[in-house]
Amino acid sequence: MTPSVPTIVIGIIIILGMPILLHIILSSSRTYTIPPTVLLVGPSNSGKTSLQTLFERGSSDTETHTSQVSQSVELNASTDSATKKSFRNHDATDGTYTKFLFVDTPGHGKLRNSAMAKLNSTEKLQAVVFMVDAAALGEPEILAPTAAYLYDVLLFVQKRATTSAKTKAAIPIMIAANKMDLFTALPSTLVKSNLEAELTRIRASKSKGLLDSGVGTDEIGSEEQDSWLGEYGSAKFTFSQLREFDVEVEVVPGNVTGDGPGAEKWWWWIAQRI
Amino acid sequence: MLDSFEILTTSGVVVWSRTYSAINPSIINNFIADTFIEEKGGFAAVADSKSAANNLPYKSDQHTLKWTLVKELGVIFVAVYRSLLHLSWVDKLVDNIKTIFVKLYGEQLLKPHTTLVECGAFDEYFDQQVQELDQTTAKGASSASAAPLEHNTVPTIIGDDPLDQPGLTYRGRALNGSNEPASPELAPATTPNGSRPATPSNNHLLVAKAGPVAKMSRRARKSKSVASAPVSSGDEAPSLKKGKKTAKKGRKWDADGYADEDDDVQLDYSANPNSDSEVEVRSAALEEVDSDTWGTRSKGKFVLNDLKDEVHEILASEAEKKTTTKSQPKSGLFGTGVNAISGLFHNIVGGKTLTKEDLDSAMKGMEEHLLKKNVAREAAVRLCEGIEKELLGVKTGNFESINARIQAAMEASLTKMLTPTSSLDLLREIDAITAPSVTSLRKARPYVMSIVGVNGVGKSTNLSKICFFLLQNKYKVLIAAGDTFRSGAVEQLAVHVRNLKELTAREGGHVELYQKGYGKDAATVAKDAVTHAAQEGFDVVLIDTAGRRHNDQRLMSSLEKFAKFAQPDKILMVGEALVGTDSVAQARNFNAAFGAVRTLDGFIISKCDTVGDMVGTLVSLVHATNVPVLFVGVGQHYSDLRNFSVKWAVEKLLSSN
Repeated sequence: MTPSVPTIVIGIIIILGMPILLHIILSSSRTYTIPPTVLLVGPSNSGKTSLQTLFERGSSDTETHTSQVSQSVELNASTDSATKKSFRNHDATDGTYTKFLFVDTPGHGKLRNSAMAKLNSTEKLQAVVFMVDAAALGEPEILAPTAAYLYDVLLFVQKRATTSAKTKAAIPIMIAANKMDLFTALPSTLVKSNLEAELTRIRASKSKGLLDSGVGTDEIGSEEQDSWLGEYGSAKFTFSQLREFDVEVEVVPGNVTGDGPGAEKWWWWIAQRI
Repeated sequence: MLDSFEILTTSGVVVWSRTYSAINPSIINNFIADTFIEEKGGFAAVADSKSAANNLPYKSDQHTLKWTLVKELGVIFVAVYRSLLHLSWVDKLVDNIKTIFVKLYGEQLLKPHTTLVECGAFDEYFDQQVQELDQTTAKGASSASAAPLEHNTVPTIIGDDPLDQPGLTYRGRALNGSNEPASPELAPATTPNGSRPATPSNNHLLVAKAGPVAKMSRRARKSKSVASAPVSSGDEAPSLKKGKKTAKKGRKWDADGYADEDDDVQLDYSANPNSDSEVEVRSAALEEVDSDTWGTRSKGKFVLNDLKDEVHEILASEAEKKTTTKSQPKSGLFGTGVNAISGLFHNIVGGKTLTKEDLDSAMKGMEEHLLKKNVAREAAVRLCEGIEKELLGVKTGNFESINARIQAAMEASLTKMLTPTSSLDLLREIDAITAPSVTSLRKARPYVMSIVGVNGVGKSTNLSKICFFLLQNKYKVLIAAGDTFRSGAVEQLAVHVRNLKELTAREGGHVELYQKGYGKDAATVAKDAVTHAAQEGFDVVLIDTAGRRHNDQRLMSSLEKFAKFAQPDKILMVGEALVGTDSVAQARNFNAAFGAVRTLDGFIISKCDTVGDMVGTLVSLVHATNVPVLFVGVGQHYSDLRNFSVKWAVEKLLSSN
């Protein structure tokens, strides 16, 4: 019963080869490509789920309520067909279409971390749509949390643009000023300036504020803790400062329900980015 | 009557709804936020695929909401009605609708990347259920005239309504979609129904004829359950009814039936087996006629007839399924052996459907772990139960063990629990009070903050830390010595103020002490301090209070007066990280001490540097009160105050050592 060399060799090959083979089989079963993704974030009650259902169904009469989980839908966008500027082009046959995932996230304060996790982990993230309620943005009680959320999103995008070496690491952001059909809605320029003013304030108070409890004593003053949104040391924050990091921020007005500019502009913005 | 019934997904899309009278959408939004997201109801709110009767009804000011949830599919069923009306059948309606809807459209909800659920044909099922259940109660009150009255109201509303239904926009597609899951028997029946123009008159006919039929079928169902031979009798029942109706004999019976019901029921069934063959022939003949004359009025009756049977079949089969799954959980020695081996395999490779047994041991371990981290048992049990319910029936991912799955779920659960509902930017809040915007029409006044807690947890120390932080941000701060009880308390604050003055004088900080000595009423001192601060132009008033034992009613009762007199914008409670199970009771008692209208606004967790990873106290505190943690004390210096970071806390709680 002396062990023969070929037997041992074959045995070893089988033993070592099996996991590799298994891995190849398992990994090859996921060859489908991941479509580009557009993430829809924003505070509660700004109309995120409504926009999603509008894009998917083409009609805005679906009722929606507070979301608890994120939901993705598959949509087709085109930049060269006749009806390219309209989102009601599911059945159009001309032009080339890109399939993309439109992901809605819950906006409730307690679930915001799930949206941020999505922002962090989504592969092929092409654009972020930040939805705000332009009709309610005049009130400081709405403006403050909205801007705080936007601050987190912008800071994340800025950090991602500076730290990662990959090309196309910078994600364009559209601030969709929703509910333009309402009487109290602020015009998009005012939405922009209000948000910028509030972001300036948040940035200032963050720099003077307390450190987070996670920060150890050795990390104080280190580069990583230095989170200054926009041009460092600038007195006033503007969205254009983020161009320095290749992050493009645009405020586009529109509305999901009622009469007004509609959602076509948003759709066109998304179609151009994917 | 119901105000509204909605079927919505957890992602917020209303799949199907029926509105009888318009309600404010914020009612349902608040319901979702309170019940599912903030879990204000505590244990009961952690939902399960239970019946609506077990779920606590949610009450808004005028409406009551009965609800149930199918966790696997992520669908919530909500019925809204006026709290004044005591509709006993709503529970049953919600449950039945849940069963029917899940049976018919369950697969559609599982499709990825879409929010569309084609359920335009669900209207009829719903109407049928409402009628039937409504009728049972009407009869229970022995008012025969009430039932027809209800029928008249229902169809008029239906007539107006379908145009507004979201599902109906896709009427054409809905038809195709709905026929697939439905039984083939139903297919011919719904097709003409769906393509009809939704005229009120037609509907009226449909419904008005329902009265007698509904009753009969219920009897049939009763007999079915008595006979406990569901399959055969289920097949018989519809054919019997069809036979009856063509002969017009059934009608008369029903008319008599009102007078003496029980006898009729008896007669009804004794007659059935005898005329079995005859009926079969009749029903066969009828089916031919039926398929030929689709356009006739009699069709309306049969559509409803089939629908009712189908509904009852669904309900019966689901109920049956429930009993069978309960009665036979295991299958022989060989079966369990194979199960055990495949279970082990799945545990390594993943793709295992989690059962209660799998979870039990792992959850024990997790509970143990949390207890070791100084989480109070009550909070640990709640967290673990929530996760167990969440994971029951879930499939693990590729190469994911049960423990990893539980770990991930616990992380999500803890994060959700500890994350505050709104942002906690103290400086912003102070600015909003001391320098209100022109449009808000408020007068500028000092921002009042007070600190409460048990003896020796570090109230004065944390107060001076906050003061230091505010001074660095160039606020004028007045410290009020509200501890008029313990000897040395005022002097202690005086020392702090002196130190803070020295530390921040160069940077332009301005801090004063307001004190009235010992023995005075703390509430009056606080009130005087606030008026003094308003006169002198201070930005912030920090009020120290005497430490008090949380279960001493005499000491705690003075807090209510204090809150009324000083009107603090923020009441913070200092809790030690060192304290164990008692933290839950402390938080609860302090939270309740300020009267009905006022609660705590936040916690400061002191002495975090002394416990290392065992920061479970903050979970206990948040669990008990739903009040967020604002600051964390991490050292002895004035600068050792930190904003609370949820990520940091969750990492510490889950780290294993």
